[in-house]
Amino acid sequence: MLRKASIAVAALSCAAVVFPGVASADATDDYPIPNRMLKTTCTVDQYMAAVRDTDPVYYERYMTDYKNRPVDVQNGARDRIYWFFSLNYAGRRQYSEDTATNVYYEFMATRWGNWAKLFFNNKGVVAHGTDVCMNYPVSDPAVWTW
Amino acid sequence: MKRAMIGLALAAAAVVVGAAPAHADVDTDFANELHTYGIYGQKDYNAWIAKLTCKRLDKGLDTDANKSAQFIHMQLVKDSTTDQAWQFLGATLRNYCPDKMSILEQAAR
Repeated sequence: MLRKASIAVAALSCAAVVFPGVASADATDDYPIPNRMLKTTCTVDQYMAAVRDTDPVYYERYMTDYKNRPVDVQNGARDRIYWFFSLNYAGRRQYSEDTATNVYYEFMATRWGNWAKLFFNNKGVVAHGTDVCMNYPVSDPAVWTW
Repeated sequence: MKRAMIGLALAAAAVVVGAAPAHADVDTDFANELHTYGIYGQKDYNAWIAKLTCKRLDKGLDTDANKSAQFIHMQLVKDSTTDQAWQFLGATLRNYCPDKMSILEQAAR
């Protein structure tokens, strides 16, 4: 009896291996890109100006890194994040999925690994920034020349 | 009320004059001074905030002492007082950007 039950348990655990639920590499609504970043309606400039106030050290470090990159990489990173912000929720969610499942999907990352650190990497920073970003000017190029 | 705050910041700025001559480095002196106001936290973090306060004034992002004090207050731990923010500002100006001391006098007017 006990032996039968053990075999059944073993058989079940085999089935779990054969039919796994969700692949662990898949994106979730909060990973790799935080949910608040997928949903915010702020512009890039609004968000950056907000983080400059809410997490100034994080912003400073990102901008230092940015300034140390060649001009074409800076331009590429800027263009890419404006492109990301131009997507709606579904588009951003898809992008999150694409980057989670294919490390080569984001070409900017091959030039600068932390190109979107300010936007994607830290849930707390994103939460603080998106809480207040709507109070900042929609367009403010000075956020890139800190 | 506002007068009192600025007074605190100016008092913090005046500590220098009577300060002991031993100087390890600016960040340490600054941290030690903050402790006298009951402001703790990481030394490096506080030094960053001080330097960024100066940078914001330099860049014209913060245009007066009130804005600087607000910025500082946001970065301190949640139960920090407005007094502490102004004391932090006074210590910042003296230690990291003395050329900006005048914003305190302007605010007092």
